[in-house]
Amino acid sequence: MPTGSTPAIDPVPRRATRRRNAERLAPYVLVAPAVLVVVVLRLYPLVLGVNFSFTGDGDSDGTAVGLDNYVTLMGDPLFVGALRNVGLLVALLPVAVAIPGLLATFIYLRVPGHRIFRSVYFFPAVLSPVIVGAIFTLLLAFDGPLNALLGSVGLGPVDWLGDPDVAIFMVVGVHVWATFGMALVVFLAGFATLDTSLLDAARIDGAALPRIIWHVIVPGLSRTIQFVFVTTMIGMLTSMFGLLYVMTSGGPGGATYLPEYYIWIQQGQLNRPALASAAATVLFLVMVVVGLLQVSVLRRSGRED
Amino acid sequence: MEYAVKNRALWTVVLAAGLTVAGCGSAAGPAPSSGGDGNTLVVWDWKSGDDDAAAYIEAAKADFADKHPEVEVEFVAQPFDQYYTLLGAAIQSGKGPDVMLFNGGGQLRDRVDSLVPLDSYVAEDRERLVGWNAFTEGGRTYAAPVTLQGHPIYYNRNLYEQAGLDPDSPPTTWTEFVDGCATIMDRTDATCIALGNKEGIGIEFFLSGLGSGVLTDQEYDDWIVGKRNWTSPNVKRIFEMWTETERAGLNNEGANSTAMFNDAFAIFSSGEAAHVIGLMSDVGHWQDFGEFLAPADIGVMRAPVSTTGATPSLPYDGGIGYAVARWTADPEVAADLVRSLTSKDALEAFYADAGAIAADTAIDVSDAGPAVADIVSGLETGEPALHVALSVETLDLMRRLSQQLLSGSVTVDDALSQLATADQGS
Repeated sequence: MPTGSTPAIDPVPRRATRRRNAERLAPYVLVAPAVLVVVVLRLYPLVLGVNFSFTGDGDSDGTAVGLDNYVTLMGDPLFVGALRNVGLLVALLPVAVAIPGLLATFIYLRVPGHRIFRSVYFFPAVLSPVIVGAIFTLLLAFDGPLNALLGSVGLGPVDWLGDPDVAIFMVVGVHVWATFGMALVVFLAGFATLDTSLLDAARIDGAALPRIIWHVIVPGLSRTIQFVFVTTMIGMLTSMFGLLYVMTSGGPGGATYLPEYYIWIQQGQLNRPALASAAATVLFLVMVVVGLLQVSVLRRSGRED
Repeated sequence: MEYAVKNRALWTVVLAAGLTVAGCGSAAGPAPSSGGDGNTLVVWDWKSGDDDAAAYIEAAKADFADKHPEVEVEFVAQPFDQYYTLLGAAIQSGKGPDVMLFNGGGQLRDRVDSLVPLDSYVAEDRERLVGWNAFTEGGRTYAAPVTLQGHPIYYNRNLYEQAGLDPDSPPTTWTEFVDGCATIMDRTDATCIALGNKEGIGIEFFLSGLGSGVLTDQEYDDWIVGKRNWTSPNVKRIFEMWTETERAGLNNEGANSTAMFNDAFAIFSSGEAAHVIGLMSDVGHWQDFGEFLAPADIGVMRAPVSTTGATPSLPYDGGIGYAVARWTADPEVAADLVRSLTSKDALEAFYADAGAIAADTAIDVSDAGPAVADIVSGLETGEPALHVALSVETLDLMRRLSQQLLSGSVTVDDALSQLATADQGS
C-alpha cells in the first residue's frame, strides 16, 4: 500500500504530504460521481418514498399516520388481487421459460428454416409494448379475427379480454410473445458453450429427442436456465404496465391489476400519493426478495463449476 | 469479508436513517409557486392544440388582450390521457399553471384546495352561462363552464323505421323500450344498445342517462346534494336494469372488452345498434355520429320511465371549464382570462368548429339538425348528471363493479353495499 504510515524522513515533507493526501483522496474523487448518482438519484428517492408511505393523503397530508397506509392496502381487495396476480405470474414462470428454451433447442438442432426462425422470433422484442398491446387488442376483440377464425370451425366466441377468468392469461401470453426473443438469444448463447460430443454420443446411442433434451441439454444449460428464470421474472413484475394499460385497463373488474398499475391509479387518478408510496414500497420488497433469490442462485451455480 | 461487514453496516445506517425520518414531510409535496411571472399567464389544457379549437383560442386571446394588453398568455396543451397525472405532478413539484382546464365533477372537487373561488369575479356571467353546478363545491364556484356535457340517449331513426316502429314517438316507458328492443332485434340485424364498458365508463353513462326515469324527483335531488341511499329500491332498480339488459342480450356482445371511446360509438354510427347513451360535446355525440349517419336519422329521446313519480330530464353539467390556481400572482387578472375564455364570441367559435354544446345557451344552433335542437330544448329542464356527483374513488369502484356485474361475479346487492361504504368514506 503506497499510502501507509511512512515515517517522516522525507527531504521535502510538505510537498510529499500534499502528494500523499492527493493520492489518498484520488479514489474517493474518482468514485464520487458514481456514488453521487446512486445516492442522489436512487437511495434518496427510495428513502423518501418509504418515508412518504408513513404519511397521510388528503386532509392528513404531511402528518405521520404510522402503518395506516399498509393496513389500507391489505384491506383493499384490489391490491390483494394485484398481489395474487403476482403469485400467478410466478406460477406461470416455468411456461414462460420453457417456450424460448424449446424454440432455441429446435434452432440449435437445425430444424429446416432455423435461420429465418432465429430472426423472426427476435422481432417482437424490438416492438414497444403499447404497439404490441394495440395489435393484440384488435386481434382478440370480441368481433376480431381470432373469434372469426374460431367461429369458422364452429367454436363459440370467447371474450378474450372481457372475461375476468381469461383476460390475465391473455395479457401474460402476449407479454411472453413480446419478450421471449430476448430469452431465446440468451439460450442460443448458452448452447454455444454446450459440449457437442455429448450430443453426438447420445445420438449414436440411439436416444430419442425428448431424452436428449432432458438428459443432455437441460443439465448442460442449467446456469443459462437459472439466469433466464430470474430475468423473465423481473420483466414480468416490472414491465407489463404498457400492455395492461392498452389491453385491459386493469379490468374487467380489476382482474388484471398488477401492483405497478395500482400505484399508477392511486397516484395519478385518485390523488393518493402516500398510499401509492406504500404500494410501491411493498412492490420494492417483493423485488428485493426476487433479487436476493437471484444472487443466491447465481452464487450457487458459480460454486458448482 | 471486511468489505461485506462495512457494507452491511452502511445499509443498517441507511435503513435506520430511513426509519427515523419515516412519516414526516408530505407526499403531496410543497405548495407550488406561481406558474408564470407577473406578466405571463400560463394556461394548461388539452384543447388548445386541436385545430378545431384554434378559432376559439384566438377569439379568447383577442378578448383578453383588449382588457390586459400588457399580460402575455401562454397555452400549454397536454395529452388528455395523462392530463390529471401531469397536472398532479406539476402541482406537487411547484410548477403548476396559473389557469387550468378541468372536467366538471370529481377531478375538480379533489383539487379545490389549489383553486381560487371565482364567485366574485364571474358574477356578471352567472345568468348568461349554464352548467355551474359541476364546478361548485361547498357553495363556492371554482371554474367557469366552457361547454356542457351530458348524456342524451341517441337512437337510429332509420332502424326504427325498418323495424316498423315510429321514429317520431320513441318509447317513453321502460317496458315499451324493452319491447321495442325485441322488435328491432327481431326485424333488423342490429342489436338494441351499443355498450362499451372496457374502461367501466358504460355504467356512468347508463346511470346518468336512465336515472331520471327511475328515481323520483325527491330521490334525484337528494342524490345530487349528497344524500344518497344506495340500498333504496329505485337505486337498486337502475343496477338491476344494468344486469338485465346484458342477460337479455340487448347489448352488443363483449361489452366488457369494448372500449366506449370509440368502439361502442362506432357500433352505433355504423347502424349495428339502435341506441347509445352518448355525449353532448367533443366526442361520441351528434356531430361524430353525423359522419356516418344522416343528421336527420339521429334522434334523441328522454329516459324511459320505469317508476311512477319520476320525471325524465336531460342529464347534463358543465363539461369543461377553466379554473384559477391559488398561487397565481394576481387572481383578478387570471379570472379575467377565464372570463375571456367563456365570452360569447369565443364560445360561438367553439360550438361552430368543435361541435360542442357551449355553456352559452344564447348561441344559435338552428342549422345543426334535430338531435341538437332536441338537446338544446332540454337544457332548461335538465338536471345535473347522477354520476358527476360521485367522488373519484366511488366512480373508480363503480366502474370495476359494473364489469363484475356484467360478468356475473358480483350480485347487485353486494355491489350496492360496497358502493354505499365507498360513498360514505369519501
